[in-house]
Amino acid sequence: MRSLFEGVPARAAWGLVCVIVLLYLAPLVFGGYVLSVLILCCYLAVLGQAWNVMMGFAGQLSLGHALYIGLGAYASGALFFHFGLGPWIGLIPAFIVAGAMGALIGWLGFRFGIRGVYFALLTIAFAEFVRILFDHWGWIGGSSGMFLLVQNRNIDMDAASIANAFWTLRGPNWVFYYVILTGMVACLVTVRLLMRTRVGYYWLAIREDQEAAQAMGINVLRYKLLAVVISAMMTAFGGVFYAFYNNTLYPESIFSIDRSIELLLGVIIGGIGTLFGPILGAFALTWLGEGLSITQEWFDIAGLKLLTYGVAMLAIILFRPAGLWPWLRRLLGMEERRPDA
Amino acid sequence: MTTDDKTLKPAHGIGRRQFTGAAIAGAATLPVLHPLRLVRAQAPVRVGVLLPRSGFLSAIGAACWRGAELAPNILSDMGLAVEVVGADTESNPDTGRTQAERLIREGVDMLVGCFDSGTTAAVAQVAEQNGMPFVINIAADPAITEQGYQYVFRNFPKAPTLVMRGLGSINNLFEVTGTTPRTTVFMHINDTFGTAMSRGIQALAPRVGVPYEFLDSISYDPQARDLSVEVSRARALDPDFLMVVTRLNDAILLVRECVRQRFDTMGIISPGSPGMYEKQFADTLGPYAEYATTSVPWFNPTSPITTELQSQFVAEFPDQTFELNPGFTFEALMICADAAQRAGSTNADDLVAALRATEIAEHPMYGGPIQFDEEGQNPNIDTVVVQIQDGGPVVTAPVDIATAEAVFPVPSWADRG
Repeated sequence: MRSLFEGVPARAAWGLVCVIVLLYLAPLVFGGYVLSVLILCCYLAVLGQAWNVMMGFAGQLSLGHALYIGLGAYASGALFFHFGLGPWIGLIPAFIVAGAMGALIGWLGFRFGIRGVYFALLTIAFAEFVRILFDHWGWIGGSSGMFLLVQNRNIDMDAASIANAFWTLRGPNWVFYYVILTGMVACLVTVRLLMRTRVGYYWLAIREDQEAAQAMGINVLRYKLLAVVISAMMTAFGGVFYAFYNNTLYPESIFSIDRSIELLLGVIIGGIGTLFGPILGAFALTWLGEGLSITQEWFDIAGLKLLTYGVAMLAIILFRPAGLWPWLRRLLGMEERRPDA
Repeated sequence: MTTDDKTLKPAHGIGRRQFTGAAIAGAATLPVLHPLRLVRAQAPVRVGVLLPRSGFLSAIGAACWRGAELAPNILSDMGLAVEVVGADTESNPDTGRTQAERLIREGVDMLVGCFDSGTTAAVAQVAEQNGMPFVINIAADPAITEQGYQYVFRNFPKAPTLVMRGLGSINNLFEVTGTTPRTTVFMHINDTFGTAMSRGIQALAPRVGVPYEFLDSISYDPQARDLSVEVSRARALDPDFLMVVTRLNDAILLVRECVRQRFDTMGIISPGSPGMYEKQFADTLGPYAEYATTSVPWFNPTSPITTELQSQFVAEFPDQTFELNPGFTFEALMICADAAQRAGSTNADDLVAALRATEIAEHPMYGGPIQFDEEGQNPNIDTVVVQIQDGGPVVTAPVDIATAEAVFPVPSWADRG
């Protein structure tokens, strides 16, 4: 716990605890729509945090992260669909498959010196390759999609069925909310702890100057691979959640590049290479999007949302190029104290 | 009528009590004599209409929305009350899901949508989980209505039905025109819809007994910016005609490339996909859009409701073409309003029971009466052959509703420019 909050001003630590407590209390106040938007926020925050490990901390650009969402979703979804195995068991093969795929892409890229945008292209290529493969794979439904059994959510639940709902992820929205909120907090804690280990510092060194890091004796290939594998596994968790929350999986939709772009936008807006940037970005963008959706329906102007969304992002990139969180952190006096020399 | 001014008694002897009694009796019999007027007095059923009005499907989403905009007035004239609440899915299943949740929170009684199968499947799950009746206007993935859902109904053919009837209609076209091609190359988009159609065609073509041989099947990305390689590949095989499954933008791109490469065939025919009957296709390609042929579920040009709908559509949207997208969206709202009228309430279970008992003989789209089977699927929707002629789509088959004669083989590109 000390390591978790070391260097963090008391005001920031208490602020964080209060926000998390409020988020856990949200289902007592909100239902239906607000809860579904909060679920989307937390889900995007998890994916953003995962992508941030690879790009923000280890400096490896991926534009095909939808691949790991899809692999996680299909691994757990197919086990549930064909064998009735629940999501928590499905999480294990999801981690293995996504981690292995991440390792393969990473090894191919890093071993043969593919860097920057070329590495990003490799990640897109793999996502597309797997999409086409899954489109033609009948066992998982192919292009016709895979549908998981749906349960009516407007039913009364006793203690046993609540426990069962958490175990099987078949239940009302608040069950999904608590799962993804806990996942978001777990990802935050994991990344925070990782960044305070030797691995985290190695990643930062590689991000800043790979040659210098190598000259200092860091095994660049190993630590870059580790970043990709951890990022892929965290993303796969998001995929497993997506499968059981959405219940419908189409290769075209889940492996699409739009999904890869969607998950990194929040990080760019929130602040790449920061711990809270992905969370802030996901919440800000999602609520902005929803607000604009409602406004667009009021004024009956289709496309107003996407247009305003684009302008807002342009403004943030122009005026806050480091993202919202570094600016907000300064504004609130929550900057982390540097360790004493 | 004259009255005595002092007593306000009518001159022919009907007193206040008699009048009041008669009025009460009249009011009591009114529901029996004028059921439609009573419905008008009821609060309209609130229907949330989810469509891709922005994003890459925005053109088609906007076309569907026009049907939704016309529905309240036309249905009101038919004695059916409906209030439309719109939501934009942004061509994204996740947004569709959130918007469906929002509409349910805002108190809509039913949902209609969503054009693309991915978003429709996501919204179907939300509808099922929340016990909200959902009528699908357009979406062909068969799996959506094969999940045992209780609240989901579809007034559009499943992909295999679409393919089966599409291939059958194309056979009829060849018989009617007396020209039977021997070979074809099949070009199709590689998204969910295109791949499902491709598999359906491969599986069902032998069963339908098509008289032509498939030389090759070429797939491409629906958002492709260049189809020169794909068209060259097809051209090298020298097929008698091109069979295509497209969306709008790639259909335009494909024809442009055929013109550029002077790739002449007997015709370009779709067994049931969007793109080639749409206004933007004809407007963009001008003479090169002519004679593009699609076998597709379409409106019935001989139905009185279609005539009314079409005339209001032209008055309201003079620059647009009335086609299947506004037609099926209107019809979905008509189904909702009809169910609400028969249910006499907006309770979800009453509405679902009424939807199950739907039997609408007179409706705008071509086919038998609107009914739903145990899956919630309307099995009676038929397809027609539509061909672009003089800048717009016309029905060329079946002959009982055809408004023009089919042209096949079509003139070469050089003879059109």
